[in-house]
Amino acid sequence: MIPLQVDIASILLNGLQQGAIYALLGLGLTIILGTMEFLNLAHGALYLVGAYVGLLVFRETTLTNGLLYSFGVTTIGFDGGFLAALVVVPIVGFGIGLLMERFVAEPFYDRPETDQLLVTFGLALIVEEIIKNVIGGNTFQSIGPQTIFGFNVSQPVALPVVGLFPSWRLFIIVIALVIIAVTWLAIERTDFGLVVQAGTRDSEMVRLLGIKINRSYSLVFALGAALAAFAGLIGASIQTLSPQIGTDRALLPAFLTIVVGGAGSVRGAIAGGMLLGVIVSAMTQTYSQWAQIVLYLFVALMLIVRPEGLFGSGEVGE
Amino acid sequence: MARDTTELSRRDVLKASGTAGAAGLAGLAGCTGGGGGSEYPPIGNYPVEGDEVVFGFNVPQSGSYSQEGADELRGYNLAKKHLNNGGGWVDSYENLSGNGVLGKTVASVEGDTATNPDTARQSAQRMINRDNAIMVSGGSSSAVAIAVQKLCQSEKVQFQCCLTHSNDTTGSECVRYSFREMFNAYMTGQALAPVLAEEYGENLKFYQLYADYSWGQTQQASMKKFFTEVGNWTQIDSVPTPLGTSDYSSYLSDVPSEETDVLVLNHYGLDAANSLPQAIEQGLKQDMEIVVPLYNRLMAEAAADSIEGIFGTADWSWQLSDQYSKTFTEAFRNEYNKVPSYAARLAYSQTVQYAAACQRADTFYPPEVIKQLENHQYSNAGLGAETMRKCDHQAQRDVLVVQGLPSDQQTESKLLRIVNQTSRDKLGYACDAGPAAECSLGPYGGENN
Repeated sequence: MIPLQVDIASILLNGLQQGAIYALLGLGLTIILGTMEFLNLAHGALYLVGAYVGLLVFRETTLTNGLLYSFGVTTIGFDGGFLAALVVVPIVGFGIGLLMERFVAEPFYDRPETDQLLVTFGLALIVEEIIKNVIGGNTFQSIGPQTIFGFNVSQPVALPVVGLFPSWRLFIIVIALVIIAVTWLAIERTDFGLVVQAGTRDSEMVRLLGIKINRSYSLVFALGAALAAFAGLIGASIQTLSPQIGTDRALLPAFLTIVVGGAGSVRGAIAGGMLLGVIVSAMTQTYSQWAQIVLYLFVALMLIVRPEGLFGSGEVGE
Repeated sequence: MARDTTELSRRDVLKASGTAGAAGLAGLAGCTGGGGGSEYPPIGNYPVEGDEVVFGFNVPQSGSYSQEGADELRGYNLAKKHLNNGGGWVDSYENLSGNGVLGKTVASVEGDTATNPDTARQSAQRMINRDNAIMVSGGSSSAVAIAVQKLCQSEKVQFQCCLTHSNDTTGSECVRYSFREMFNAYMTGQALAPVLAEEYGENLKFYQLYADYSWGQTQQASMKKFFTEVGNWTQIDSVPTPLGTSDYSSYLSDVPSEETDVLVLNHYGLDAANSLPQAIEQGLKQDMEIVVPLYNRLMAEAAADSIEGIFGTADWSWQLSDQYSKTFTEAFRNEYNKVPSYAARLAYSQTVQYAAACQRADTFYPPEVIKQLENHQYSNAGLGAETMRKCDHQAQRDVLVVQGLPSDQQTESKLLRIVNQTSRDKLGYACDAGPAAECSLGPYGGENN
């Protein structure tokens, strides 16, 4: 059998990698929820868009059905490589976030949460169906690169204790942690972040101080969207793409993450994501059939014992 | 059971009165016509009223398997077209005229299973109750096929299995009203084990991951049985993974690469499209051989860069050069401008085989149609000689062993090469052995029971 220390090391590494994606997703959702008290069920759709934009930028893809195919388009994509996708995807996500805030979120800020849930869930379905109809419902291969920054990431690397580990997944951990750190710094250490945090506590007072909080709202929403799109790109680099991934792989983990970490808390999203990642990884590797049960039990227990989450200031949805 | 008994009894009453009416009219006119003949008592949706006979095509139209469902629908609709207007296999089947079935035009209703047994059962129930389908066909998941065939048995409506590979479908869960032409996990083991033993050697150690539902469970059990028996291989462990998992890294981390010679990924379709590339990323292919026992097009496309040299089995391939495979492929290509997947052939074949059985029985009366299919021997479905066995309704047929092509040899329509068409003489099991030993088909219904 595999020695215990190898198990623990690979559990931590796999957990960190999975947790980094959860944290990215939770981060985007939590800053929108915390700042604007807006529940965005279209967060998964932004992940989906990020994955597909990544696919378009990354390589040329052959179509076999869908609207474009019926118009005679058999291949789509720019074959620009992964670095280009790393740049383009967050920008596109940011742009979509700005538009979404202006035309979808803003009219619903003062409406009940149920209205917000319905409109964003509807939007998520619309995005999913549009992608399915235009590009086709096919499942596409993951878009992991062969090389990045001159490093060959298609081969596994031999790590001490763990043994062979996919080198691309190590990169994912690094890239995700960098993005998470930058976001954390932006929220905690910049004037923009201060305004956002103040807006979270008391938006009316911020307005009275003469600060245009609405502009910050747009930026926060766009930042959250960019993070979700980025998570989509990272996710699609290790897993297949299909129109269903937004809900299956992004929305649920994002909500679980902020339930554990605490709504509106940046630190909470990071800690919550990592914790969930390690729990899933540990259970999968030891008692795989219990992985999902333990995951949801853990989240349920969190809701009972500590409803405000690890770092939250109030109850979820409050 | 959530069945609406009120609705059923109303339907039965209507059926019975319809038959009584038809019998009365027959008495007056002295003529009934083949399909609506009243020589048999009403059962299920028999007798068929009007000029049309309805087939229900129950496939995944939403969710991850919608592409496979779409190809199945293409097969079904092509069969319907050929049954009504001639063409394809219909032209060479002596019982079929290309003028409908038993003088009735074939109509169809479509349902969405969403690859979910409950959704599939509800959809089939609607086809039976509302649309009066005389036959339902579908699949793309063994859990779905098993759920629907159970319903069909209780409703006395014929079910023609499309894509279902679990041993249970014609084993412990078999029913009288269902037939399966597709091979099963047991036969996959029988076909693959000798090829792999020859390719990789004997006395090896293997490790399995399997999708944790009906198909995956029987698949891993069959692999264990035949790898152990044929190649004298030893299993290290067999680990369940939830159906629909997209990240297998933790499972793969647990594979002891030092001692494992062969990794068997008992994942179907999109599960395999994730597990196979991730296993290769993890470097496992450097230390061991990887096998994916059941291929489908969805998986081959979505893991195209990873399938090189990977062995598996397939139901059929458009690359086969026999007369029936060529006829079907040509007709399909003319109609849809692409080559058919094996799911499409299964769909097409189920529809045509059922129609031919009705013609042979000269009635839609289900027990008689079932008897026509039982022990039916045929060689006109693209797989050489086949027998639809009476004891478990499992076709005894050849199985293709295939291997993934290198990326530079792949084309849009050709991703796999056929390694071997394993003869049915080397496959299968007796009626009192293997999965068939657990099969009890249940009653025919009607006047026979």
